[in-house]
Amino acid sequence: MNILVLLAGVADVRYPLHEIRIDAAGLIEEGGQSRRQLGPFDEGALELALKLRDAREDCRIEVLVLGGSNNDNLLRSVAAFKPDRLRLLDLQPCRPWDARLSAAQIAGLIGAEGTPDLLLIGREFGDLDEGSLPVLLAARLGLPLFALAQYAEWQGEQVRLLRERGIRQQWHSVAGPLLATVTNDRRNKLRHPLMKNVMLAKKMTFDSVTASAAADSDVRLADLAPAREVQRGGQCRLLDGDVPSQARALAGYLRGEEEENAA
Amino acid sequence: MSAPLKTREILALIPLAWGDDALDMTLGAAQRVAADAGLGFAALLLGNAGAEEGARRAAAAGAARICLAAHGGLALDAEPAALALAGADAVRRQPEANQRLLLVPPGADGEELAAHLAAVLDAQPLGRCSALSWTEAGLEAERATWGGRLRLGMTQADGSAVACLRLGKAELSSTAEPPCERLELDTVLPAPLAVEESTSGQRLPPVESARIVVSGGRGVNEQGFALLEELAERLDGSLGGSLPAVDAGMVPVMRQVGVSGKFVSPDIYLAVGISGTPQHLAGISPDTRIVAINKDPAADIFKVASVGVVGDWEQVLPELLRVVER
Repeated sequence: MNILVLLAGVADVRYPLHEIRIDAAGLIEEGGQSRRQLGPFDEGALELALKLRDAREDCRIEVLVLGGSNNDNLLRSVAAFKPDRLRLLDLQPCRPWDARLSAAQIAGLIGAEGTPDLLLIGREFGDLDEGSLPVLLAARLGLPLFALAQYAEWQGEQVRLLRERGIRQQWHSVAGPLLATVTNDRRNKLRHPLMKNVMLAKKMTFDSVTASAAADSDVRLADLAPAREVQRGGQCRLLDGDVPSQARALAGYLRGEEEENAA
Repeated sequence: MSAPLKTREILALIPLAWGDDALDMTLGAAQRVAADAGLGFAALLLGNAGAEEGARRAAAAGAARICLAAHGGLALDAEPAALALAGADAVRRQPEANQRLLLVPPGADGEELAAHLAAVLDAQPLGRCSALSWTEAGLEAERATWGGRLRLGMTQADGSAVACLRLGKAELSSTAEPPCERLELDTVLPAPLAVEESTSGQRLPPVESARIVVSGGRGVNEQGFALLEELAERLDGSLGGSLPAVDAGMVPVMRQVGVSGKFVSPDIYLAVGISGTPQHLAGISPDTRIVAINKDPAADIFKVASVGVVGDWEQVLPELLRVVER
């Protein structure tokens, strides 16, 4: 089985955001010290692929890592898991805010190189996607979509994918080429790479591949600004006293008794 | 050159099976965008059940035109891909517009539906928008990016677009009686993916519809989540968790609250061991009162909470359960 994993990376939320602005050409320019790393959905997609390869010798993993800031570190972090092939994905033109264009570019590349048996991608593709790109990519490639997979396993010769919907859990047996989006779950938490592989990855060089499109984006980037602060009640009233009295006050608040008394 | 205003249309496309909240939220977004743009809006209600009530609410929200589109093959739990095919078929039968903004219900399901619709209609997916307006330059959309830390503004001069926008429920005060058309669709729908189903063992109701949400974060372990679940049950509420708690396997992903999880709008959100990152808070309605239990007095959650306890959940939760039991 040939598995293709698409990884985008996200800015590390534990650190202040690096400098990002719109340049004179209307493109996103990232400066300063970018800490782009695999996001939780990227990690889930990669781990599911690794689990499937662990169980079968004829399972092959190819990974494409989206180009952008902090490329090199991101590629090395993925290389430490020893995918069978790893390349940098260069979108030309690069308009990551336009999922339609990006999906068309990536679909063009995959279509030209050959559709994999299983395409795994995080439910959101990077910091500028909210889930549109995987759906559009599946449509462009004409692949069925299994959304929000949480786990994968072999059952005989077939891969089975699991997701939960409400109070139901659903297993799908993959019968042909399919795109699955992966969400975070304890069963697909990314393993730690072996230290020797981390060291080997530091010395590697990587190929890149360009995914282009004839047409440009229909959407112009107009503005990039800090997020608006959401106005909330705030002015927190801290409950004092010992734990039992704090618990009584808290229970009253949760039951709405405090508001009734005030009324 | 941008299209003349008269050929622009706002169309709220709503699967009726998704319930009143989805209906009212989508009508609310259409109402606001239309009012700001000086336009009317139309409502396309998709599905077989509850069409009369849906039409009544759309009329009360001020829809200038209503289309009830039914399809005999659409199940109540139809996949977004099937809904999009039927919905796109219905959209193609609407009066022509040079630039059409399709609004679908906000939330994870709506976002997936929006992307499918964009693919079928070859429209621009604008995604999960925080603001939408229509100016002479075209459609202007704003979206939260980089984990909610930056907002990105985009302009689309031409062509149709599909978006989700969360602005609250519609005001249902209009007494007008707009024209209401009925469509019977016979779109060929894709066979649903074959799945084997079983129950997941979840006892509590969905997190997105509860009046009280009891939620835990990185600071709470498995034993703590068992207490939170018990508390949620006693309060007739539901259980949620932050992304790190889901990653740690403490709570299922369907209960994840935050920018990449569910958006919740309960009366009260009890946040236990949750630091209060912008990514998590983005999943909680600004109208919700947050109650926080955290041992770190400097935790950001106290900046947005109405009531708080600085303390260890291992002491506070068992005591709280004892009191709530009485």
